[in-house]
Order: sequence, then C-alpha cells, then structure tokens
Amino acid sequence: MRESLRRFRRKPAFTGCILFLVVLVLNIVIQGWSACLSGGVTIGNMLSFFQPTALKSIFMTNLPFILVTVGQALLLLVGQMDVSIGVQIALVNVVCIMVPQEWGTPVWVGWLVAMLAAFGISALCGACCAVLRLPALLASYALTYLVKGINVLIMDVPQGSVPKTYWKPYQSSLYGLIGGKDAPAFLKFLDYIPVAALVLAAVLLIWLFISKRPFGKHIYAVGTSQRNAFAAGISPVKVQMKAFLIKGFFVGVAGICLTLMSASGNPLQCEEYGIKSLSAAIIGGMGWGGWGSLSCGVFGGGFLVLIQNTVYYFFTLLSKIFTGFSVTSYWQNFVSDIIIFGGLLMTIVTAKEQRKTLQQGLKAQFKRGEKNVQ
Amino acid sequence: MLEMKGIDKRFGAVVALNKASLTVQDGQIAALAGSNGSGKSTMVKVLAGLVAPNAGEIFIDGEKKIIHSGTDAARENIATAFQDLSLIPTMSVKDNILLGCEICTKSGMVDEKTSRKQVQELLDRFHIDCDPDDYVQTLMPSTQSMLEVAKAVFRKPKILLLDEVTASLHYDEIETLFGIMRELKAEGISMVYVTHRMNEIFEICDTITIMRSSETVISGQVSEFTLDDIIYYMTGSRPKHAKAKESDLSHLDDREVVVNVKDISVYPKVKDISMKAYKGEIVGIGGLEGQGQPEVIRAILGAVKPQSGSIEFMGKPVKFKDPAAGVKAGIGFISGDRNKEAIFDVRTIAENIFAGNSAKESLFAYLSARKVRQFSEDAVKKYNIKIGKLKDPASSLSGGNQQKLVVARWIAMNPNLLLLDDPTKGVDIHSRQEIHEILRECAANGMTIIISASDTEELLNISDRIYVFYEGKVAAELAGETKTAEHLVSAMMGVQESGGKEAAE
Repeated sequence: MRESLRRFRRKPAFTGCILFLVVLVLNIVIQGWSACLSGGVTIGNMLSFFQPTALKSIFMTNLPFILVTVGQALLLLVGQMDVSIGVQIALVNVVCIMVPQEWGTPVWVGWLVAMLAAFGISALCGACCAVLRLPALLASYALTYLVKGINVLIMDVPQGSVPKTYWKPYQSSLYGLIGGKDAPAFLKFLDYIPVAALVLAAVLLIWLFISKRPFGKHIYAVGTSQRNAFAAGISPVKVQMKAFLIKGFFVGVAGICLTLMSASGNPLQCEEYGIKSLSAAIIGGMGWGGWGSLSCGVFGGGFLVLIQNTVYYFFTLLSKIFTGFSVTSYWQNFVSDIIIFGGLLMTIVTAKEQRKTLQQGLKAQFKRGEKNVQ
Repeated sequence: MLEMKGIDKRFGAVVALNKASLTVQDGQIAALAGSNGSGKSTMVKVLAGLVAPNAGEIFIDGEKKIIHSGTDAARENIATAFQDLSLIPTMSVKDNILLGCEICTKSGMVDEKTSRKQVQELLDRFHIDCDPDDYVQTLMPSTQSMLEVAKAVFRKPKILLLDEVTASLHYDEIETLFGIMRELKAEGISMVYVTHRMNEIFEICDTITIMRSSETVISGQVSEFTLDDIIYYMTGSRPKHAKAKESDLSHLDDREVVVNVKDISVYPKVKDISMKAYKGEIVGIGGLEGQGQPEVIRAILGAVKPQSGSIEFMGKPVKFKDPAAGVKAGIGFISGDRNKEAIFDVRTIAENIFAGNSAKESLFAYLSARKVRQFSEDAVKKYNIKIGKLKDPASSLSGGNQQKLVVARWIAMNPNLLLLDDPTKGVDIHSRQEIHEILRECAANGMTIIISASDTEELLNISDRIYVFYEGKVAAELAGETKTAEHLVSAMMGVQESGGKEAAE
C-alpha cells in the first residue's frame, strides 16, 4: 500500500490529480452550500453537484474541451503541440452541419466527412511540424488562420441544426438512453451516468489499448530525445505523425460532441481552446516532451472546467448571502483566470517536489554505491 | 566477419573519415584506438547507422550491406553502446532496455510480465543494482553506462560496438563488463571496442586498429604492439618519458595562500571539506565519481552556495553571488562538460575564444572585429589548436581541440586562480599532454590551479598536491613521497590510512 502510494507520488499525473480532487471537493461544497441557502438544508441539496441534471450538463458542455486537452497532452508527449486545435473542432462542427444541409446526405455521412477533415488537418499540421520540422508553436499558430479561413468558406455565418434524434441521446443520461420513464425503475441509478461521460470513457479505453502497444513506449522515447530514439531503431517522424493522427481522432470526436451539444454550427468558436488546452495539460503535470501521460490531460482539463464551475457557484452564493450583490461575468472570468494562473505557478512547486523524489532516488543510489565499496 | 573498406565522411569542409577501414573476425574483440578527432566515434556511428558515409563499402560475412538508419543496423544484428548514452532519462529501466524491440503478445500488446522477467535476468547478469521500474534519470552515471551496454547486449547482436563505455565505470563494474565480454566472445560475437585506456586494450582485445587524423594507420594483433608503439601510431611521435615533477613542500608556509576553503558543506554531497591552494601550485582533487568534487569547485567559483563554512580568496573572505562575480575577482573555470558549460556550438571559433574576455568588459563597450580576430589568432597559434578557419563554428572542432580552445579562452585572461573540473574527460592522450604542458607553464608563471580528474594517472602526473575526497570529506592529502598510485587508490576507496595525511601535515 505504502509502496504503491510512493509510486503514485512519483507519477507525473500526481499533482494534476491532487489539484483536480481539491477543486472537486471545493466545487461540491460551494455548490451544495448555495443550493442549501435557496432550498433548505437537505442531503439532496448538500450534494446537489451529483444531481443527474447537473452532472449531465457539466459533462455535456465540457467534454469537447477535455478531449482536446487529452489530444494536446499526447502531442506534448512526443515533443510537439498544436494551438490550432481549437479552431479544428470548429472545422469539424461546420462540416458536420453543412454536409447534410448542402448535399442532402444523411447526418452520419456528415460526421464521417468531418472525421476525415479532422484527420486531414492534423496530418497537415503533423507534416509541417514533424516532417518539415517547423517550430510547432509557429506552424500551428499560422494554421489557426488557415483553418479559420476554411471554416468561414464552408459556413459564413452561424447557422444550421441537428435532428433531435441525434442530440437528445448525447445530452441525456444512460437511464434516459435506455428509455427514461419506460425503463424499469430499479435501473434508475443509471441516471447518474451521463452519456457524455461514457463517450469520454470509451475514447480513453481506445487510448489505453493503443498505449499498451509498443507505440505507447515509443512516444516517450521520441518526446525526450529524437536522436536516441532514432539510434534505437525508431523513426521519430513516423511516431510523431501517428501521434498527430490520433490527435485527429480526438479532435473529430470532440467536434462531433460540440455539434451535438450546441445542435448548430459556428465557424469561429472555440479558438481559445488552443492555448487553454496547453495550459490545462501543463497544470495536469505534462512536461515539454517525454514527461507526463494522458491522464495529466484529463486531470488538467477537469481542473479548468471545475474551477469555472466553482467560481460561478461561488458568485451565486455571494449574491444569496449579501442581497443585492451582483457582478458581471467578467469578474467571474477574472477570478477563475487568477486561480488558473495560480495553478500554473503551482507546477513550479510540483516540479520541485519531483526533483526532491529524484534526489532521494539519487541518495539511495549513493548508499548502494557505498555498500559496494566496502 | 565484418569488413569496412574505404569509408569516407565529410561534414562540410571537415573530413571526418578518409578511406578508413576496419576488419573484425567472428568471435574477436577489436580495439579501435586513436586520438580524439581521429574518427573512431564516426566509424562507430557509421556502423550504427547514425552517420551515412559519403563513400565506402561495408561487408558482413562477405555480403555487401547498406546501413542508413538504426533500423538497418538492427536488421544486420549490430548493436551499439554509445559513448554519450542513448538512454531515455524519463523512461524506466525496463522500457529503455526493451526500446525498439518490445516483447509483445500475439495480439500486439506489450507483454509486461515476460519483459520484467527478462530485464531482471539481464540486470542480474550485469550486477546492476536497480529496480526495472526506476527512472533512468535517477541512476548514477556509472549505472547508466552499464545499462547502455546491457541494452546493447539484450539485442543479442552478432556485432557489438562499445564506444568508450568504461569512461565512468568503477573497477568492479569494469571487471563485470570484461567477464561478460569474454562470455560473448566465446559465443562467437564480434566486438569493436573503442577506448582511451591503454591497459584495457592489452587486457581484453585481440586485434587493434589505430586511426590518426581520419585515416586508418595500422592494424594487427595486440600482442605485436607495445604501449609506446600504440602511442607512436596515434600521435606520430614517440612518447617522452618525462618524470612527474617533484614538489617541495618545505617552502609552502612561506608562500601566499590564494584559496583557503574552511569546513564547507554543500547539500547533499559535500559534508566537510577544508583545503588550501598556494600561489603557483597545481592542486589536484581526486576521488571516485560523485564524492563532491564538482560541488567544491563550483562553490569556490560562486556557482553553488555552501550551506556552511567559509572561503577565502587572496587573503579575503569572499561570498560570490554568482560565477560572474568570481570571474571578476580573477577566477577562471574550465569544465569537462564542454557542451553544457563551455562551448557555444554554433558561434565561430574566434568568438568562442574571446567569450571570456568580453564578459569582463562593460556590456556596451565598443568591440572591434579586428580585436577579436587578433586575439583569437594569437591564441590558436600559441596553443596549437587545429582549426579550419576562425570563422568556422566551434562544433566543427574535435573534442580535444574544443577543450584546448576553452583552456586558451581562460588562460588568455590570466586569472589568479584557474579551476578545472575533469578537463580532459574524453580527451585523447596527445591533447591531454599538451593541455598539461600549458597548465605547468601557467603555474610556473604564478597562476594557481585546482584540478579535479577522474583519471588517477593524470592526477598523479599533473598535481603537486592531491586532496582525495571520500563521502564528502577529505580522506587524504597526498604530496611528495605519499603521492603514489597505491595511496591515491586506497584513499579513493575510503580505506583508512595513516601515512597520507600525517606526512602532509
């Protein structure tokens, strides 16, 4: 037990996990407090965070961002990044909407074309960064404008709609999916499992499968030292291209989720996800190249999402305690941004913590060395 | 049988290999010797697929092979233990060893259980004391070197290339390594062994191929060569058997103390070190790797801050807040880790030589191109640095010449105290002797020199007095008659000895 705890502390995802758990508890408390003030002190109100509607809403609206962060984390692992990842999911969104609308095809054909678009744009970014070796930050920043241009060409103003049969399941819970009120009552507990959470779990399972293959080891080697990976007989270009394509898959799923969440198209949304996902991945414990894991992306993304949620409920709470208290949403963003900045600063502290464990490892080594001498 | 014929390699204008050749029979260990910059490492890299030759042919068992990448080399059953390590520091020991040849189940997933078992067997065979799940970056340099070899051997190669793998190994580890090399030899594996340590060639190798300035000079059975022969072919001149300079301790008290280090400690390695250096003296620091030598040197310079104790420089107590302050006060510093702490890779040779000087002047002082050129031309001539053009980047030089460049940079500034941290690590015998001569000349002119070295022989040759560090303390102070290899080695191993310290005091 202690051994596994020690092992967990050495893991890069350790700090991201702790930050995530802290803000999760904070969120539960503040949200519960706020609910108790307006609805009376009951167990149900105290745990209002876990109400099916609240759970559904938080997973549904934030799944695209978390998926994007996971994709960004994968790129960071192989020593690359893509700040155009935000407008890429907008691209998927507009393709999803416009293909059925303009060509009259079934909706799923639109999704298929959108997935291909996600793979295509990721391959293009990969070709620039991994094959032509342009600096990833600059190349993907330039791509942002290219992709935005494509988006506007496909769809000039926000428009379109998605049939209810498609978005309804995504926005419901597992209980709602199997029939809602028609389903047997003893399955009611399934109401606590949003479909969006299942999508996340499915995507992560696919990644788990990939990561257990040799590729899962090669990404670390390439991210840390391309030369050493090459010397071991691994092609850095191939590994990085593969990583970009897997990121394309994440982007495709994220874009489709975005479409189902908003049930309409907007060519210029989510641009800020590019940088936001980077900072989320770093808060989650990623390093620049070869250090971290995709769970860092999940925790970092989750941290950012929960912070915004918590700050929202915090201000609602304030307005309930002090009657007449009201501020614009800018203040909420300001507070959550400060906390995120604090989280980024925290990574310095945690890096120190990791160095400490390193030092302890070194000390243990020296003790062994002394044994050998005598 | 492995044959390399007429291998040419040019990096821009610099010729790295010129019609070089190498032949290794099955089940033989072939030594590849030569000064730094003679092309040994490039030969190894050609075979490993890291460097594509401009011309030449490689035959394995009589068949012509083309090796252009690490994958090609692996296909021909060639495995390499690189001098500058090819391990991935952020990956575990197990993943590093299996990198590129993962053990998979039928479904294509990595088989963790079998992997762990095989890696543990390998670690046991090499007497490496670590957990398969430890991150490589937490291991000692010597353990990492052993892992590098273990990783190569794990690939079950027919041809094994070992490029200066013993550079940071301890005695017992070298023993283990040689034992394994003999086993592999009995299995019929050919090995190419690159080293600077001559005694190792005589101990383990069957044949020797000597390279000088990018060409293969001679090859033959090791038994046909003497040490003098090897040095002759490596350098082109017979070695002079100059006796190490004897120092006279009796006048020490009259001399000016330049550095006086009192009871300093630097977490975690340095516990309690006191040492003195007098004007015009060469003081050596010896010890096993990781006993605090680099920390003490950097503490004097001001690059690390000691937790306790004091340092006096030129008779005054000092507390430099950074190395710049130390340099200003008249301290020079030469690191063995050229890439990290001394050489500006892409800048020109002239700028590299001048770098120390420009740090001394004020930030916005006018600096003419002619002044820089003149200064560096003089230095190049004086210290016999082999360069193409002054405008070439410093990375175009070989290791030995880069180090001479750094030495030149600092000596030209004429510091009162010169600190050297293992300056001749990976530098060939010839350049090493030249650097020693330069240092002796400087000491004779009144410069004080503190030098730490991992090579015991070098330490005995160059220094007037030697402090031996063990476990962050001074284990012995050797000078005059006590300055012998036996005393030095036993003090390094922490064996308590009465002779050393008493005689010095």
